[in-house]
Amino acid sequence: MNQTPRGLNRTLLILIGVLFALTGLHGLLLVALPAYAGGWHEVALDVTAGVESVLAATTLPGQRDSWLWIVVALVLIAVVLLLAGWISVQGRGRTGVFARGEDPAARYDGVSTPGAVSLSAAVPEQVMRAALAGRSDLVSVSVSTWEPVAFGRDDDAAWRGDGAGLQIKVQPRLGAGPRRIAEDIAESVRQMDRALGQQGPVVIHLASGARTRMSRAERVR
Amino acid sequence: MSRFEPRDAERERYFIQRRQTHSARSFASIVAAVLVALICLYFMFEAALKSIGQDVWLKSPGQWWSWIAALPGDAGAGLVGAGSLVLLLLGLFFVLQGLLPGRKARRAIENDRAIVIIDHEVLASTLARRARTEANVSPEQVMVAVAHAHVDVQVRPTSGIPVDADAIRAAVADELAENLIDPVPPVTVRVADTGVVGQ
Repeated sequence: MNQTPRGLNRTLLILIGVLFALTGLHGLLLVALPAYAGGWHEVALDVTAGVESVLAATTLPGQRDSWLWIVVALVLIAVVLLLAGWISVQGRGRTGVFARGEDPAARYDGVSTPGAVSLSAAVPEQVMRAALAGRSDLVSVSVSTWEPVAFGRDDDAAWRGDGAGLQIKVQPRLGAGPRRIAEDIAESVRQMDRALGQQGPVVIHLASGARTRMSRAERVR
Repeated sequence: MSRFEPRDAERERYFIQRRQTHSARSFASIVAAVLVALICLYFMFEAALKSIGQDVWLKSPGQWWSWIAALPGDAGAGLVGAGSLVLLLLGLFFVLQGLLPGRKARRAIENDRAIVIIDHEVLASTLARRARTEANVSPEQVMVAVAHAHVDVQVRPTSGIPVDADAIRAAVADELAENLIDPVPPVTVRVADTGVVGQ
């Protein structure tokens, strides 16, 4: 399923949040309390002296500025790249392969031919879409395939025989009974399991959205 | 799920269910990452100019530091205070996003093949339909709000035709049980004092 690193998100949010909040608090105290501002100015002078001596020590003869600035720029580039990486892993986890497998016993011996079989994610997606297409109590159906998170399995997720996770998101018409819809969809999923011979975790999400509110309500059932 | 141990299947179900019903905090994460990246990019640019011996763009890092060291200085108390307040609130927003559970308005119901997640709004419209059939009023006269721990039903009766609040409560509770909401949350039915003209 969706593999957004939630623990990382929360850890970094708390870290960045605390840094921002402390900086803001510091600024407010500087404005509000003259005594605090006086203390800060003394501390800042000490820091300035310390940093200046370091910069002077790291300036090569004949150069105008310290080589530490190059280090600083490189470190900042690294931080920016890490942040870009953090953004790029949000919402990760979609996969294009539903199931993949090979017969470990099959070897090229002239009789049987070794090889792998893979089912594209489009297979279960289209099966489910076709199974739900005729229903008048659903406003929209969207199916997506997600790499499941391995639990207690040491084999490689891409090569294990089980299917990937399927998310079936439907928007029922206003007033349609959710349990009945869910059980009908689950029954379609069971039929698909039998037809494909592979199965993975399935999420059925009965969602609301703009389209449900705009369309007319369920009259019968 | 032939190769799953029962315990693993249970853990996987719980894990996926939790992912569906709680926020991933993606939006706040992206905002925080972009903000910090912009600050880093700016200082990287100034540091790079400094390291190749070029003139500064806005202020050199040293000038920035002496400005910070002299705060509030000549920047004006109002401006510094406002900026600090914005930073403080932004920081608190990020911290709260990191700490609060972030439950979405959805809940999971029992199913032996799939993990079934229902938006509270979908559930509310079903309950509203049942309540209005029970009260025999038009759809506009019933409003249902579903929260995690309770269900709130508001009915405006048609003038001259009384509605039975207890019957509506029982019907709504029955509809909740029917849709496998477990445990059934307490249902509050409020009947408005003023009726509407019948349709």
